[in-house]
Amino acid sequence: MYFRIIRNDISNSKLITLTTMIFVAAAAMLVSLAAVLIVNLSGSIHTLMTQAKTPHFMQMHSGDIDSARLTAFAKQQGNVEDFQVAEFLNMDGAQIILGEHSLVNSVQDNGFSTQSKKFDYLLDLDGNIIHVNDGELYVPISYMRDNTAKVGDIAMIGGKEFTIAGFLRDSQMNSSLSASKRFLVSEQDYAEIKNLGSMEYLIEFRLKDMSELRAFEAAYAAAGLEANGPTVTYTLFKMMNALSDGMMIGIILLVSVLIVVISLMCIRFTLLAKIEDDYREIGVMKAIGLRVSDIKKFYLAKYAAIAAAGSMLGFALSLVFKGMLLENIRLYMGESHNSSYASLFGIIGILFVFLAIIAYANRVLKRFRTISAAEAIRYGTAQEKNTGTNRFNLSGNRLFSTNVFLGIQDVLSRKRLYVTSLIVLVISAFIILVPQNLHNTISSKSFIQYMGIGSYDMRVDIQQTDHISEKTAEILHTMNSDPAITKAAVLTTKTFKVKTEDGSEENIKIELGDHSIFPIAYAKGKAPAEDEIALSAMNADEMGKQVGDAITVVINGDEKALTVSGIYSDITNGGKTAKAVFTDDTADMMWSIVSAELSDKALVHEKVSAYAERFDYAKISDIDEFVSQTFGSTISSVKKAAKAAIIVALIIMVLVTLLFMKMLVAKDRHAIAVMKAFGFTNSDMKIQYISRSVIVLIVGIIAGTLLANTAGEMLAGAAISSFGASMFRFEIDPLSAYLYSPMMMIGSVLIATVIGVSGVGQIKISENMKE
Amino acid sequence: MKKLIIGDHIVKSFGEGDERRHVLDGVSAFIKEGEFVAVMGPSGSGKSTLMFALSGTDDVNGGTVVFDNQDLSAASENELSDIRRTSMGFVFQQPTMLKNLNILDNIILPSMRDHRRNAASLTIKARALMKRVGIAELEKRDITQVSGGQLQRAGICRALMNSPRIIFGDEPTGALNSKSAQEIMDIFSEINEEGTAIMLVTHDANVAARTERIMFMSDGNIVSELQLPKFDGTDMDRRVESVTAKMLEIGI
Repeated sequence: MYFRIIRNDISNSKLITLTTMIFVAAAAMLVSLAAVLIVNLSGSIHTLMTQAKTPHFMQMHSGDIDSARLTAFAKQQGNVEDFQVAEFLNMDGAQIILGEHSLVNSVQDNGFSTQSKKFDYLLDLDGNIIHVNDGELYVPISYMRDNTAKVGDIAMIGGKEFTIAGFLRDSQMNSSLSASKRFLVSEQDYAEIKNLGSMEYLIEFRLKDMSELRAFEAAYAAAGLEANGPTVTYTLFKMMNALSDGMMIGIILLVSVLIVVISLMCIRFTLLAKIEDDYREIGVMKAIGLRVSDIKKFYLAKYAAIAAAGSMLGFALSLVFKGMLLENIRLYMGESHNSSYASLFGIIGILFVFLAIIAYANRVLKRFRTISAAEAIRYGTAQEKNTGTNRFNLSGNRLFSTNVFLGIQDVLSRKRLYVTSLIVLVISAFIILVPQNLHNTISSKSFIQYMGIGSYDMRVDIQQTDHISEKTAEILHTMNSDPAITKAAVLTTKTFKVKTEDGSEENIKIELGDHSIFPIAYAKGKAPAEDEIALSAMNADEMGKQVGDAITVVINGDEKALTVSGIYSDITNGGKTAKAVFTDDTADMMWSIVSAELSDKALVHEKVSAYAERFDYAKISDIDEFVSQTFGSTISSVKKAAKAAIIVALIIMVLVTLLFMKMLVAKDRHAIAVMKAFGFTNSDMKIQYISRSVIVLIVGIIAGTLLANTAGEMLAGAAISSFGASMFRFEIDPLSAYLYSPMMMIGSVLIATVIGVSGVGQIKISENMKE
Repeated sequence: MKKLIIGDHIVKSFGEGDERRHVLDGVSAFIKEGEFVAVMGPSGSGKSTLMFALSGTDDVNGGTVVFDNQDLSAASENELSDIRRTSMGFVFQQPTMLKNLNILDNIILPSMRDHRRNAASLTIKARALMKRVGIAELEKRDITQVSGGQLQRAGICRALMNSPRIIFGDEPTGALNSKSAQEIMDIFSEINEEGTAIMLVTHDANVAARTERIMFMSDGNIVSELQLPKFDGTDMDRRVESVTAKMLEIGI
């Protein structure tokens, strides 16, 4: 019997049934994909890091190295299982030519290594340790991904010819978020090119007990060993490997939640409409003694069928698309050892969607309990009194035309029904606005200041060279006598020790100089004065410091107390930086930056070339170029996502509006026939329906915009904060957010409404006046 | 008196192919200005279909319908709507009120479309009509809060709002008890006295006996007619007797 009921019901409402099923299928597919991706990602990372034997603790160091002292330290530490110092030959991008592509514009620190002896292996695409022959070059996988190189290409490294023999997976530096990239060459070739670049050392440890990592870190810092460079731990490697795919999974999950909500809204709308239609029948069923649970089953059966069909379709689709999304993970990290569980988790995810739908339909049907059998049979309609209708009388209406009034009146008196389409519209507006605002924010000029970069035109980076201070002074001198340059500032970064709460010492990179020339925006507090220090958000977070707290920094052996003056966002240098103004001549200079403002912005390009030619040891960049290279790819992918979001949201809006309007017309055919009998024309009726749509749409757009500017801002802020930004405010383009987007939404919904209510013309008075 | 509506050889069919059936099989009928007529006949004889055809609410498959010199079969949808709104009123068996509106709003609804600016005078008119049919105190009520008889009176008020030239009633007393039905018929008689033509479709000899001409239908044709003197409140029993006699005579 259930089968017959379902079949009849579905054939009466093919379109809405099909659409609901498609939404369910999409939601099921996305949830299943997310589950499959999570399992594969964690499995692949685990496999990669196990095969490569990723170091548990790694200290990068540029400058001289005391191997004997390091070996002694490693021996003395009981927890050290293995220890090695790997070399990383940092080479200027201009010296690296892969096939036809030069890496001159690369923002990565490209360097050369030989295969490790004990651990931290560079792997081929099958996960095996690469044994490289003379004349062969293995290239980081990211250069394969962006089509910079292919196997068999000839590479020129500092004038020496290599053949690209393959690509490598690097468990440390695979991620695009990692600033360095390792190329692999043979020992003999390495010796030949060794003098073409600057040497950095990777001081690497494998520990017996990973849980003692923090203690080991403290011991390393306390021993005062080589530490001129970033420190990275196993957990951080893992996180960097997971981040970009992890964000994709997060977005898929978010989208799937939204689509589940939309399918629930479709179900709610259909069910409420059906209950209104069947009111009398439900009353009769109650009157003849059927239990509410029995009646519910008739209605639930259909949704169980839709949910089941949608879930199966969704699972099938997830199998189709799985390969596409796993491609990136497979390429960068290889196969996962536990991929066999992936489908199981996918099915569990789908089951979750299925149960959520049944539970929701069941909840909507709770309404049956409140239906009085007597009233239902007598009036055939719910007897609830609507507060909205009392205050809003046609006889007192002067403001709206009668058709518009009737549209508004209907929305007010059937709020429950219209809330459903309202929610869909709010979600759609949210989907349209949030990515758009995010894109506008991160591509705005003021955002750069939030990212720890001042507002200047040209930037000179002096690092990985000797005599940094002399070279910096030379450049500054040139700039000061250059009439085209209005302002210039030098910021020098040095490493100091900072005392932690428990008395141990940690390294901190402090940028010294005058921070008032090119100020950045501070999330809290202000720029540092004498005896003050400003911390990046990540550093402040890790040290547990607030504005006003004191920090003890060891300068030239003496402890100096500094007060935290401000906290700022920073996406440069791994996000862990500090700023201060004190002078110091003792500590090693890690790098320095000269930033300059030009009187004529049009000259930037010319100046950059001129300085680059004159100071070949420095890296000169146009700030716009610097920004676009640093996070240009992020901006462009957000832009793509924003465009895709607009299209998807508009499609959802059109589809759902079309369906709701078609259903409403079918439901209201009696009322439509009555009005037609009294001389209302088809266009009158259409105006009434369009008014309903417009009312709901306006509320939806306003609510969606408010939600996007509050919850959406928080959501986007949370995503941005993972890059080291602590403060986030949407920079909204009012024309786009408050004019074009609403216009697009209104346009689509109106078109969908007009098409959806075209059936009004076919409703015959004579056929609908008889019971 | 001049003929207000003239239907000539009207054909209305339903179904396709072998299933095709003429519900109106070349019917010719007319209604004169200010005339009070009834259509009787067994279920399925085509009474209501004739009413829908003569009022232009349903298109026909053959023949013509002329209302006040205008050919309805050639009129556009919008022209038909305009005629219905300005010159016709409808009262149906079941309450056909909009659930969202209270009684007063339902009554003024058809006239508000064109005369929104005059809402105040329309309200005054509606109140006068409601008072006349005895439901003055119900204007703020929801349609579910009043009885069937009261609702039907409200329906009559609505039909009268635009001062139509004819009112069509499809079994307007069909759902009412005999006392309510009597009262409704009294109202119709009064309206007719003032010059509005009325066409009622009914099963009830007591209702038909109030009119001055009765068309009897069977199988899509008018098979007989009965002319009665104008009702003046007397002789009701004799009028009913002659209607039932006619019904027996033609076997319906």
